[in-house]
Amino acid sequence: MAQRGHTISTLVHSDVNIDVWKLFRQGFREGFSLPAFMVLASMIGYGALVHSAGMNIFIAIVSTIGIWGLPGQVAFVEYIILGAPVASLLLAVSLANMRFLPMSLSLVPLFRGSPSGWRWRYLWVQVMSVNTWVGLLRKVPELSPDERGPYYAGFSSVCLMTGTVGTTLGFLMAETLPFFITVTLVFINPIYFAFVFAAMRVRACLIAFAAGAITGPLFYLLTPEWSLPICGIVAGTAGFYADRLLRRFA
Amino acid sequence: MTDAMSTSAQAAPWVLLIMAISATYLWRGMGAVIAARIDPESEFLQWIACVAYGLLAGLISRIIFLPVGLLDNTELVDRLGATVFGFVLFVIFKRNIAVGTLSAAGLFMLLVWLRTQGILSA
Repeated sequence: MAQRGHTISTLVHSDVNIDVWKLFRQGFREGFSLPAFMVLASMIGYGALVHSAGMNIFIAIVSTIGIWGLPGQVAFVEYIILGAPVASLLLAVSLANMRFLPMSLSLVPLFRGSPSGWRWRYLWVQVMSVNTWVGLLRKVPELSPDERGPYYAGFSSVCLMTGTVGTTLGFLMAETLPFFITVTLVFINPIYFAFVFAAMRVRACLIAFAAGAITGPLFYLLTPEWSLPICGIVAGTAGFYADRLLRRFA
Repeated sequence: MTDAMSTSAQAAPWVLLIMAISATYLWRGMGAVIAARIDPESEFLQWIACVAYGLLAGLISRIIFLPVGLLDNTELVDRLGATVFGFVLFVIFKRNIAVGTLSAAGLFMLLVWLRTQGILSA
């Protein structure tokens, strides 16, 4: 298996004549619009939540950069508020962030064929969020493997920066923000991603997304802890095979 | 050291945070390790991408229909109404993400504000 992977990576010729900083700036610029604004908004909500839990601002910032996935971050704070057992807190955070496994499985192969991009893969998966993942996936047809690393680094940097700024602002403004604002900042994150995915043009993914949206709450009612992986596998398999079936008839 | 039986209230928050970051990185790192061993053109990876989309859709949908935490203090009809409103504008404006998101969030904020003012009954 590993040998096969090696053959594939050496088959792709790498282009050495790329302007790394130009691509980094392009990623930074393209991230510095809606994606970064949404990270800012939702992390303001998160900062306010950490403040309400009575933890300090450094915990707030380090948890944003380190966990870097809002559902897991929220689980972390809420379980501490509840004073839940350590084991259940870790299980909740881990399950809430389980999406990173299929995401990193589909992100990392994009850097195959670029020695420099491939070398940084363990860092790329740490700075990966739904935002940066989609941000790179959308650019795959336009960027060669060598260009993806610097572009992704720029895109991720701006998201991490606005995430840190948002967390700090939210923590500092926690007592002045009225309920209708805080709750909207929490609401904006899932809504934004719903539209990001609805704008995708890959049919298999769209069907999987629709199937997941319908079955997600139902699986949650059946088994709250395991609903996410089950929903992902059922809806993903449905989308994958529905797309093939449609292709056969087209 | 914190053992599994103690509660998170007794443990130092920094210890919990480092454990939470590691628990998250486990999935990320595992993906990177496995990805090195599979063919990037394989059907398995296409299926995995579908699983990621299905999982994220399930998570988003669950947050809107059955939220926990802060959003649990809002009405289902507000969350759903705002989502549908945003989706209609999203389609009208040729799948514009910004228009969809901001109109949904705007209507949601207005509805929640109207309820806190007692103009809309909860």
